[in-house]
Amino acid sequence: MTAATTLGPPVPVPVPAPARAGRILAVASGKGGVGKTWFAITLAHALARAGERVLLFDGDLGLANVDIQLGLTPAHDLASVVDGRIGLAAAAQAHEGGFAILAGRSGSGALSQLPPATLEDLLAALRQESTRLDRVVLDLGAGLDRSVRRMSGFADTLLVVATEEPTSLTDAYAALKLHAADVPAGEARVVVNQASSRTAGERTYATLARACRSFLGRAPALAGVVRRDDRVREAIRRQTLFLTRHPTAPAAADVEAIAAGLRCP
Amino acid sequence: MRLKLYRAADTAEAIALVRAELGGDALILSSRRVQGGVEVTAALEPDTEPPPAPLPAPDPRRAAAFVWHGVPAGLARRLEAGPLPFALSAVLRFEKLALGDAAPPLMVVGPPGAGKTLTVARLAARLVMAGTAPMVVTADGKRAGAAEQLAAFTRLLGLQLLVASAPAALSRALARREAGAPVLIDTPGTDPFEAGQREDIAALAATAGARLAVVLPAGLDVGEATDLAGAYATCGARLLAATRLDLARRIGAVLAAAGAGLALAEAGIGPGAADGLVPMTPDLLATRLMRVPQLSAAGTGARPT
Repeated sequence: MTAATTLGPPVPVPVPAPARAGRILAVASGKGGVGKTWFAITLAHALARAGERVLLFDGDLGLANVDIQLGLTPAHDLASVVDGRIGLAAAAQAHEGGFAILAGRSGSGALSQLPPATLEDLLAALRQESTRLDRVVLDLGAGLDRSVRRMSGFADTLLVVATEEPTSLTDAYAALKLHAADVPAGEARVVVNQASSRTAGERTYATLARACRSFLGRAPALAGVVRRDDRVREAIRRQTLFLTRHPTAPAAADVEAIAAGLRCP
Repeated sequence: MRLKLYRAADTAEAIALVRAELGGDALILSSRRVQGGVEVTAALEPDTEPPPAPLPAPDPRRAAAFVWHGVPAGLARRLEAGPLPFALSAVLRFEKLALGDAAPPLMVVGPPGAGKTLTVARLAARLVMAGTAPMVVTADGKRAGAAEQLAAFTRLLGLQLLVASAPAALSRALARREAGAPVLIDTPGTDPFEAGQREDIAALAATAGARLAVVLPAGLDVGEATDLAGAYATCGARLLAATRLDLARRIGAVLAAAGAGLALAEAGIGPGAADGLVPMTPDLLATRLMRVPQLSAAGTGARPT
């Protein structure tokens, strides 16, 4: 035991290595059509390429389309998990991109009215599964219904995808506002997609951050800017992974930079 | 939030347009040069709109219990979904103490008065009752009565107590270890916020090749427990023995220390020398967390009816 002498100034607490961004990342946008699903897929791919064990979870309960965007015909999907026919881990399928995918039930809306208790069980199973992984990327549906809100708050980190359009900014703000109400100490970051240039994207972020700071009292950090690239549309049309098809495209470098930033903040 | 773009020949004119249409409360979010003038983005958050109500907790009883125990908000949020033992096992780490033949020595560290010596004595008793005689060492040779306290236990168990306060002495003591005998090492109370004391712990642990278990009382202040656990983690501690779960009512400190990076290993649940310490399990912790006086009113601000 130390002999107490004088009470000096408090000794700074040694802090263990800073925790990196949360294991469960949700990707939301409020508005549809801003490239959210494309971004979620490409981010999962970028994290996997950086060596992480990643699960991409299609959390768009109304109109899932991760599987469509990648041209998959999954043997199992979220609906089978919700029915209890198969466990969450077993329903996920390995993708050639080096990450696992748990597909939604595309085009049926079968899961859109999931009862809250069922959603909780599903999230608990996802949390459990996340302990065996480095990262779960949760692609959320458009809109801000109860389940989108719940999954945004459930995630360790929320990524809100926005574009330069005023409608997208307004909806991204609405998503951030609900997140702030649900999880006052939660972490949210902004991704500006389809930016005409990096500077323009940063300006879009600054606009959104200013609104958040003024009206919500806090502003999310910028996760990164993804520059507009016509090859994105082409890769989606061909149902292929963007980083595989266009590894040297500026948009590929942008998503990889965001992945790197999430790995070491 | 209402967002609107205005174009005008210059900034002053644009701002006049904003004020005319949205009023004095409008916020100019950005302004940029465009062909023929400027484009200004303005926003208005109508104050008639009430702030959104937070989504209700999936299990209000659990949320209230977390508030009562003082569980840090971020941790509480991650423990919301699913059955509580299940959530605890997914979010926190639980680890059974390995004290078998091949296991490295276990060194117990913690602040003064946390219950380190009693924890070592109880682990020794558990091993003796299971038919294994452990080697018990104390590195607390300086504090008056410290070694005697542990010696009283080891005598009862028919074990010898070795005193080794410095790395060299510890090394000599460990050389006398019988093949396959588990080793338990008690240490003096430490202040892990002092670099010198962290170095002493690390040096002893390195000499013994020991795993470090932190002993913290369950009723500690939550912030203090977080800091202590984090500080001991920086000198290599990975395990937690939470003591006095029977004496503390609010046990947020246990979760906070686990959340700061220690795996939950042991729980002090009663006064018994042999049965007072048990392996910590998700079920035990969940049961203990939900034992809250007047749970229906706790943390909800509910008025008595």
